[in-house]
Amino acid sequence: MFFLTYLRRELRRRMRQAVFIAIGLAIGIGLVITVIGASSGVQAAQAKVLRALYGIGTDVTVTTKPKPQSGLPITGHAVGAPLSGSGGSGGPRAEICLNGKCYTSGTVDTLALGDTGTLTQAQVAQIAGRHEVSAAAGGLMLTDNRVVLPSASNPDIQPPTSFTVDGTDISQPRLGPLSNARLTSGRAFTAADQNSDVALVDADYASSHDIKPGSTTTIGGTKFTVIGLVSQPESGSPPNMYIPLARAAALATNPATGKSMKGLVDTVYVSAASATDIGTVQHEIEHLLPAATVTSSADLASEITGSAAGAAKLAGALGKWLAVLVLIAAFAVASLLTMAAVARRVPEFGTLKALGWRSSRIVGQVLGESVSTGIIGGLAGVGLGFAGVAIIDKIAPKLSATVPSPTGGFGTPQTVTGPGGVAGGALIGGPATSHTTVAVPMSASVTIAAIVLAVLLAIAGGLLAGSFGGWRAARLRPAAALARVA
Amino acid sequence: MEPSIDIYRLTGVSKTYRKSGREILAVRELDLSIRNGEWLAVQGKTGHGKTTLLQLLGGLDRPTQGRVEFAGRDLATAPEAQVRRVRAGSFGFIFQTFNLVPTLSAHENVEAALIPLGVPGTQRRERVTAALDSVGLGDRAQHLPGELSGGQQQRVAIARALVKEPRVLLADEPTGNLDEDTRDEIIGLLDTLWRERRLTLVLVSHDSSVVRRAQRIGVMSRGRLSIRQDSRA
Repeated sequence: MFFLTYLRRELRRRMRQAVFIAIGLAIGIGLVITVIGASSGVQAAQAKVLRALYGIGTDVTVTTKPKPQSGLPITGHAVGAPLSGSGGSGGPRAEICLNGKCYTSGTVDTLALGDTGTLTQAQVAQIAGRHEVSAAAGGLMLTDNRVVLPSASNPDIQPPTSFTVDGTDISQPRLGPLSNARLTSGRAFTAADQNSDVALVDADYASSHDIKPGSTTTIGGTKFTVIGLVSQPESGSPPNMYIPLARAAALATNPATGKSMKGLVDTVYVSAASATDIGTVQHEIEHLLPAATVTSSADLASEITGSAAGAAKLAGALGKWLAVLVLIAAFAVASLLTMAAVARRVPEFGTLKALGWRSSRIVGQVLGESVSTGIIGGLAGVGLGFAGVAIIDKIAPKLSATVPSPTGGFGTPQTVTGPGGVAGGALIGGPATSHTTVAVPMSASVTIAAIVLAVLLAIAGGLLAGSFGGWRAARLRPAAALARVA
Repeated sequence: MEPSIDIYRLTGVSKTYRKSGREILAVRELDLSIRNGEWLAVQGKTGHGKTTLLQLLGGLDRPTQGRVEFAGRDLATAPEAQVRRVRAGSFGFIFQTFNLVPTLSAHENVEAALIPLGVPGTQRRERVTAALDSVGLGDRAQHLPGELSGGQQQRVAIARALVKEPRVLLADEPTGNLDEDTRDEIIGLLDTLWRERRLTLVLVSHDSSVVRRAQRIGVMSRGRLSIRQDSRA
């Protein structure tokens, strides 16, 4: 075909210029792909963080603020003479009072709710019944606090211990923190476990506390059988243990009221029927429960801070503008060089016009040449984009993401003063922190959409450059063009 | 068309250019008729309007005033698309500097003249081969212009002008860039082709040895044409 022969020969003649234009476009397009890859990598990292906290299928979480404390306060203080020394039985003793009951000896093991409000199972059912909601599950994030009080035989103050427990709705395995966990040994929950004293334990926690599947552990003063170990990817502070929601509610106490948590949850994990329904679901729940805090995963993503958020901003703002600037520069250079090339070929186009060639045919020839250069640049740009993304993958440090916890996170140690004025750091299931920091690896990737965009940009760049040159060629009058030869 | 019929009729043709803010009258009130199959040579000094006259005859430019009738159609007022079609089908151009596309082979350069006529590929190749054979360059078809001598390049240009079987051949200083031997060879070739194909040939040259072969010789001076010799039957 004459068009292709002419095009190929012309590109070969102007090889250096074509390569220069293609390189410019390739750099611009490579940058666009790299920025898109990095940006989607950061977004994926953020999504991983959110999934670790709320579960894979959770679109909306519902929580409430705690009511003012009406229950009996938790107190800890020294009574009588210090216990130090040998056999000081007549001295002062440590005493902890919890929900109106005071302990002076033995182990005090409580399972308590953090600094969050509660929702009823009836409210969970109401949410689940909404038309745009595909599933809803309640959850409880609790802290097990254990204090061994000094006694005559063991007068030394033991450091208090605590671990976190997630009450999981077993009937909704795709919602809540456990949905993102991977079973590393043992077995997962089954429907039959709903009212059983069985627990899944975080693999890291199990390893540091010598817990294995089949062993027992005490939660809220009740012995639980460990049925399996799980691992949470990209989660800074996963729950240490997971137990069936019904058992968690039965054993837990709400420090705000001093009452049992039976029939209560502190978080509702909601999955919308479709991504487009998330806004509607959020609005409906806000209408249904005016006092509740209804948060979508997008809201939470916007609240992420730390280097992940910084990287997202960098990719979104600086990266985007850098890519746009380089593209504009590449397009401008391509256009100028094409116009210069057309100026040099004026006699040639004049001759073709004298032979009877249509202006549109000459413009098409110029456009064909510049679009071909653009496509070559685009393909090279895709290659550069892959290389850029690979480099980011190789050198990118782990990003940290500080995320607002849906229920205020797990408990932060609250100290009470033990006998002898020792700041013991005893954990009494007090108010929790509201943020958790997670380290996430950033994995940038080239998407099909990015490649399609690159090819479209390359064609656009070629068309832009060619249309300037073509416009100039089309306006030539053959006599004027031929006069340049003389 | 009968040989005695005028193929061109120019009436009161003037062409003015603007150059550096000055008006230059390249052709002044020119009246001219050219018969079908005639060889008209136009002589004259550089800048006296020879090339402008040729461009007006070839529909490459339009006069500022007057009529340029070709086969009864006024090229001065016809729409551009119509003029382009006439150019593509009826006129063959030969330039002093050959004006071959440097990236295309001799074959492709000749083929370029058939593109606007929409001649199918196979037929195109046959006609190009025949045209190159007719100018003695059948064995140089795949050579690029840069690989050919000046005389050979002009032969390719002549083949390009002839391949579409035009009614008129317009040659602007076709031997201007050639040595004496090659000049004679090219003029000999044009003479033969003119006789064999009964073409109308308008040739512009300042070389007397070239123009003396023509039937009619005109001289352009300050934009005016005066006929000096007319040996038409």
